[in-house]
Amino acid sequence: MSVDYTRELSVIEGRPTFAEITDLISKPLETRPNKKYYIALTISVTLMLFGATCLGLTFVYGTGMWGNNNPVGWAFDIVNFVFWVGIGHAGTLISAILFLFRQKWRTGIARFAEGMTIFAVMTAGLFPLIHVGRPWLDGWLFPYPNQNSLWVNFTSPLLWDVFAVSTYFTVSFIFWYVGLIPDFATLRDKTVNNIKKVIYSIVSLGWRHSNRHWHHYEMVYLVLAGFATPLVLSVHTIVSFDFAVSILPPYFVAGAVFSGFAMVQNVLIFVRKIFNYEHIITLDTLEKMNKIIIVTGSMVGYAYAMEFFIAWYSGNPIETFAFVNRAFGDYAWAYWTMVSCNVIFPQLFWIKKIRRSIPIMFIIGVLVNVGMWFERFVIIVTSLSRDYLPSSWGIYTPTVIDTGILIGSFGFFFTWILIFIKTMPVVSIAEVKSVITGGQPTHHGGAQ
Amino acid sequence: MENRNLYSVTGLFDTPDEIVQAVEAVQKEGYTKYDVNTPYPVHGLDIKMKLPPSKLGYFALALGLTGAIGALFFMWWSMSMDYPVVIGGKPFFAFPAFIPVTFEVTVLIASVGTVLTMLFLYFRFPNLSHPLHDTDYMKSVSNDKFGISIEAEDSLFDVVRVKKLFEKLGAKRISEINFDIAELNKKPKIFELKFMVFLLFTAIIISGASYFTLNKLLYMEPFNWMMEQSRVMPQSHSKIFKDGFGMRNPVSGTVARGSMPYMFAGQPDIAGEKLVNPFIPDEKTLTLGKKKYNTYCSPCHGNFAKGDARLNGQFPNPPSLHSDKVRTWTDGRIFAVITEGQNIMPSYAQQLTPDERWAVILYVRALQRAVNAKEDDLK
Amino acid sequence: MSDKGFTLDYQKKELPIKAKYAGLAFTILGLIIVIVSYITNPERTAYNSIIGSSFVLSIGVASLFLIALEYLVGAVWSVVFRRITEFLSAVIFIVPVLALPFLLNMHSVFHWSHVEAVAKDAILAGKSPYLNETFFFVRLAVIFIIWWLFYFIFIGNSKKQDKTMEQSLTKRNTIFAAIFMPFFGITITIVAVDWLMSLEPHWFSTIFGVYYFSGSLMAALAATTFAVVRLAKLDLFGVKIKSDHYYSLGALMFAFTNFWAYIAFSQFLLIWYANLPEETYWFINRWEGSWKYISLGMVVFRFVVPYALLLTQPSKKDPKRLKLAAIWILFSHYYDLYWLVMPNYSKSGIAFSWNELGYPILCVGIIILIFTMRAKNTNLLPVGDPKLKRSIEFHL
Repeated sequence: MSVDYTRELSVIEGRPTFAEITDLISKPLETRPNKKYYIALTISVTLMLFGATCLGLTFVYGTGMWGNNNPVGWAFDIVNFVFWVGIGHAGTLISAILFLFRQKWRTGIARFAEGMTIFAVMTAGLFPLIHVGRPWLDGWLFPYPNQNSLWVNFTSPLLWDVFAVSTYFTVSFIFWYVGLIPDFATLRDKTVNNIKKVIYSIVSLGWRHSNRHWHHYEMVYLVLAGFATPLVLSVHTIVSFDFAVSILPPYFVAGAVFSGFAMVQNVLIFVRKIFNYEHIITLDTLEKMNKIIIVTGSMVGYAYAMEFFIAWYSGNPIETFAFVNRAFGDYAWAYWTMVSCNVIFPQLFWIKKIRRSIPIMFIIGVLVNVGMWFERFVIIVTSLSRDYLPSSWGIYTPTVIDTGILIGSFGFFFTWILIFIKTMPVVSIAEVKSVITGGQPTHHGGAQ
Repeated sequence: MENRNLYSVTGLFDTPDEIVQAVEAVQKEGYTKYDVNTPYPVHGLDIKMKLPPSKLGYFALALGLTGAIGALFFMWWSMSMDYPVVIGGKPFFAFPAFIPVTFEVTVLIASVGTVLTMLFLYFRFPNLSHPLHDTDYMKSVSNDKFGISIEAEDSLFDVVRVKKLFEKLGAKRISEINFDIAELNKKPKIFELKFMVFLLFTAIIISGASYFTLNKLLYMEPFNWMMEQSRVMPQSHSKIFKDGFGMRNPVSGTVARGSMPYMFAGQPDIAGEKLVNPFIPDEKTLTLGKKKYNTYCSPCHGNFAKGDARLNGQFPNPPSLHSDKVRTWTDGRIFAVITEGQNIMPSYAQQLTPDERWAVILYVRALQRAVNAKEDDLK
Repeated sequence: MSDKGFTLDYQKKELPIKAKYAGLAFTILGLIIVIVSYITNPERTAYNSIIGSSFVLSIGVASLFLIALEYLVGAVWSVVFRRITEFLSAVIFIVPVLALPFLLNMHSVFHWSHVEAVAKDAILAGKSPYLNETFFFVRLAVIFIIWWLFYFIFIGNSKKQDKTMEQSLTKRNTIFAAIFMPFFGITITIVAVDWLMSLEPHWFSTIFGVYYFSGSLMAALAATTFAVVRLAKLDLFGVKIKSDHYYSLGALMFAFTNFWAYIAFSQFLLIWYANLPEETYWFINRWEGSWKYISLGMVVFRFVVPYALLLTQPSKKDPKRLKLAAIWILFSHYYDLYWLVMPNYSKSGIAFSWNELGYPILCVGIIILIFTMRAKNTNLLPVGDPKLKRSIEFHL
């Protein structure tokens, strides 16, 4: 099967008409949910409620319900936080960075990925809020004039996290919403249900598809993408600053994108099957995502190697010990899970057949997420369990509450996604129309 | 026949190529008040419509700079001027540490600000009463057609001419769009029923929520912010312990900090042999001894240890401390007396710390010497 | 099955003879200064040779990276001037020669090469399995052989394609590009660690390889942009380089300026924040005396100026502005390397005199010379590349 490099590959397969695209993408919104949907929703809500119960117990009885101790003062709480923030980054990367690099194949998946970002960031944001001893005082994280005459500590990475995650959520939400405005307008004009019409009219703000507006809209979209890109890099960089090793920023960002793409790919495999979007979210798109997974996975592998090398090179026995302990200490099983899932299994994507095989890529995607979760676990728990003084060494074991909150976070995340796919268009109607064959005038370089 | 409610005449086209050519023609004819509606941005239309580049980029720049300067200023003011705290040995204005927050605030203000500017300033959104809404034209243009709408306000506008132009360009479904008379005539009144009910409703909700928050919620845990704490008060009952006592005895075998156990209970003579006064009679110790003696010992023993009590016979007078017996006692023997008491003298161990007892003993020695001075003391 | 309807009327045009003369002039002048400097002060020249050869190396190997990247992601817009990048990558052959002054004077520049001193120092002794002269030269040889090998593969296939027009050569290069990437990551890190980081053998930073990479990428992009603008002005490509192409180049230079700043700041912030003496002294050395101004200048010259030059959309499309930005970025890259290397030679303050001018002049000359030499034997346009038509017609 030889490729013809002279032709530009069409992003959307087949030659759907504009009307067909509108109908296809708005179909889930116009039909009642089926049994499978309700089953999925029940499962995710149950998981979420289980997590909420565990959270409630933590709230009432304190973080002693968790397995955290001295010296492992941070465990599942921060591991989960970094895990979910990382997943969010893939969304922004797909919608903002691939936009800046003018990769048209993003159009089928950008909307969904942005939605995932928002839900992942919401899930992630829960963890800093609940892991403090007195969560009802979380308002103190923000600088406001108060009776204690105190300000927040602007030099602390933990506070930078507060600003970074809040900004990230706000900007991602705005980016997502701005993208949705034209689609809400399309839905407003299509729907016959009166209540839905009122809702869509309000949220579309009166968008009329005027080119005078599109003109500014495109500029703002570019500006937002231009801001969102360094923003996403900065957010995970700041998260990495909590851990203070100099290669950590770009390595963390690469790792975040890595796990995020794996999660997006996993969920999209289901979405495209369930809603028959296979010619919009094509196998080519999935293959490209897998290529990005292998690139970012290799960057993560490079970072591991670099950390190891420098740990030896530095001649600092504490650093050297930290790495030897990771690989051979009490949590060695976590370390080798991480290495095999992050570095070894994704290398299978070098093989084209595997890149294009849905079952295998799904499994590898799951393994990548497992591996990335364990990476954060290794960084946090393994390092903390072996403090400087041997008398301070201690082991961490998660409690049922810890695990419950982790499971609950997945329930929370998937519940939002399920609600999303039934209330809003998961593919950007306007953007897809603009990249199909015949979507752009001929002399302007559109695919013919 | 003039239609005074006419807003515009519209024409629909099927493909991007057609709309681009049509727009070019419309622009060439000299129309300025027209709009093009497409389901997605079509490349090349901006140029054909001769739209100037969007200035929103400059807004973004200005807003971003505002955010950056604002954030830096605030951090400088709060960390260097208002309440400087030395953290980690870093300077008060720790510029490298301020950069992350500055960056985040810059992006936040620029992004949110630019979007709000676009929506409210440029587009004048929300605008749900535009004449094009709810028309077949809008329904088509929202879905799969491309349209041009030439407004009646344009100086060159003439219904017939515009319709002819659209026909020439091959437009499908040429139609007139009218203003909605009902909407035009509707003057918004302040005292409309729906609005008043809404205001009332909002007022009730807000006042109810405020009352609840300030008068009830703040007294509930945890929002009472630890004003009333379920801690163990002295002499109060406690559910934690089986015997219900809040106040507990010290654990057996433990010793209070700084205390040394007294080894010679009931054995004053051995105490006299074993214990040695660790202090020398310097000015500080003697002053302390004098003070403590005057406070605790003098009511019974008198100011000069002569046994002349001030108790007015309410308590038997003690013997003088200048007797030979007392003078030949070692310091340790006197220590034993103070610690355990003897005869009807109670123990003064609670009132005097061991060091204070030694100081008192030195003072008593000074008194003894004063009463039985030798001749060479006067030299 | 290429598009038969497309015929390219490509006449190979020669580079103006001025270019070759300029190259020769700079090279000879630079060579004279370097030789005199080496005779009078070999140690100082050795340090300058590290700076110069790192500079040329970075442009050469990052150009190779750009070529590989284009194949790997299937980029279309850059195909029309890929030859420029190919010519620039040829400089990797001359780097060992440029490096001779320091390769022959290892003891003057690398503290870890003093075996007796290393034996007394526990930390250096621990590193000596890696930092010893034998292994250093072995690594150097292996790395250069790898790079030269990939050069011949990429450029060889590209040249062959001019004649045979086979699409399979593009596919072959794409596969090799994928193989090249991990090698590139490892080799460029090793070179950065060996040549630049080990100048201060007690110091370490995990991000150092990425730092050198980001600077190299900026330099290669800048050099490519400069050449493209110059050659397009003289209409040597035979086709029009459009504002869309320029915009892409400008956007990439802008993006990587930000990337470099991000990497540099990360490195700095973490070391500043942790405040560990074994790490901070490297930066403190660069705050001593007049080095303070050079360090502050880094922020302005390497970040603020390119950022301001390339921020707006129109500026990214303007060839004149791009040329200015390119020259500036190249200057700031040399400045960056100077800031990395020279404080090890002169701890108390800046060391800048005629000695330091030799290598910049020589490097500029050598790059121009090699460029003109390559341009003589090869088409300026990759006429056989199947993506060429789309590249010429490229639209944003």
